[in-house]
Amino acid sequence: MSEPTVIPAASCVLITGGTKGLGLQIVRDTLAQGAKVATFSRSLTPEIEQLRSEHPERLYADSLDINDEAGGKAFIKAAADALGPIDSLVNNAAIGQDSMHLHTSPDRIAQIIQTNLTAPLVLTRQFIRHAMSKVGRGRIVNVTSICAQRGYSGLVAYSATKGGLDSATRTLAREMHGRFLVNSVAPGFFASEMSSVLGTEQLSTISRRTPSGRLVTPANIAPIVRGLLFDDTNMNGQVIVVDGGGSI
Amino acid sequence: MTTLSRDQVREMMGEVLAAQGKELPANDDAQLSEIGFRSLDFSELALRVEDELDTELNFDAPGLRSIETVGDVLTFIDQLQQAS
Repeated sequence: MSEPTVIPAASCVLITGGTKGLGLQIVRDTLAQGAKVATFSRSLTPEIEQLRSEHPERLYADSLDINDEAGGKAFIKAAADALGPIDSLVNNAAIGQDSMHLHTSPDRIAQIIQTNLTAPLVLTRQFIRHAMSKVGRGRIVNVTSICAQRGYSGLVAYSATKGGLDSATRTLAREMHGRFLVNSVAPGFFASEMSSVLGTEQLSTISRRTPSGRLVTPANIAPIVRGLLFDDTNMNGQVIVVDGGGSI
Repeated sequence: MTTLSRDQVREMMGEVLAAQGKELPANDDAQLSEIGFRSLDFSELALRVEDELDTELNFDAPGLRSIETVGDVLTFIDQLQQAS
């Protein structure tokens, strides 16, 4: 029997929603490891333009809505033409929610599910088809949320999408049978755009109830994503919660 | 679209509270925390208004968090009606 092959460290990573917030932090961190990065968001930011000027050979960025299926396929091809084969994917792009389920319109629910669950699944399929044919193996990190495991008011559809991604993580890890390492990172609440819609009092309450006494920052998440992309952890199909212990 | 007057919404608000054995003060400055009108009570009121208007008044939570008084409730419902 042949020895199982260790999945090599990422060398070219597609990071969705990498122009600001957590996504931008992951882009910076991944570039710092020496890897190439392809990223897109609905619009580019001065920060990503600056990075692109600093790393013209290693960063490919374009504006794209993750719900644009044909655009996603074209992006992967264009990015691979510019950087070489893509062997890793970080599904980070998502939209938030702050409305009680009974007051959330069916259109808004559909939009959240489309953007946070359907679109990442479709992009993941496109990525795997690319990576399988070009390099044969790779790594996938899904950025989900503690909301998938704990109940928080105002986040019903959002939580459902993140739980769906966590389930997909496990199933895909099994399905790809060691050819791809597939894991989720589930942040707690952090003071990014996602949680800025929460009231000051709510954020303060969450901080007080967190054993570490502070909300999670993008800088806390990036090292975990880094480990899943670059280290030989043999971790597969897992959901790693990073929330200062707020959910324990 | 027809809209409900402030007085009509106030009457409905009183019905929501009365169903719980509570009373709606006449004063618009009355604090919701003091009369026990909670966020789900606001949801019930919004649904009653929706039934009357035969249209949905969907809204995000941040707007709801700034509501503190009876007058705020009536104003917010009025704004939802205007926006729908």
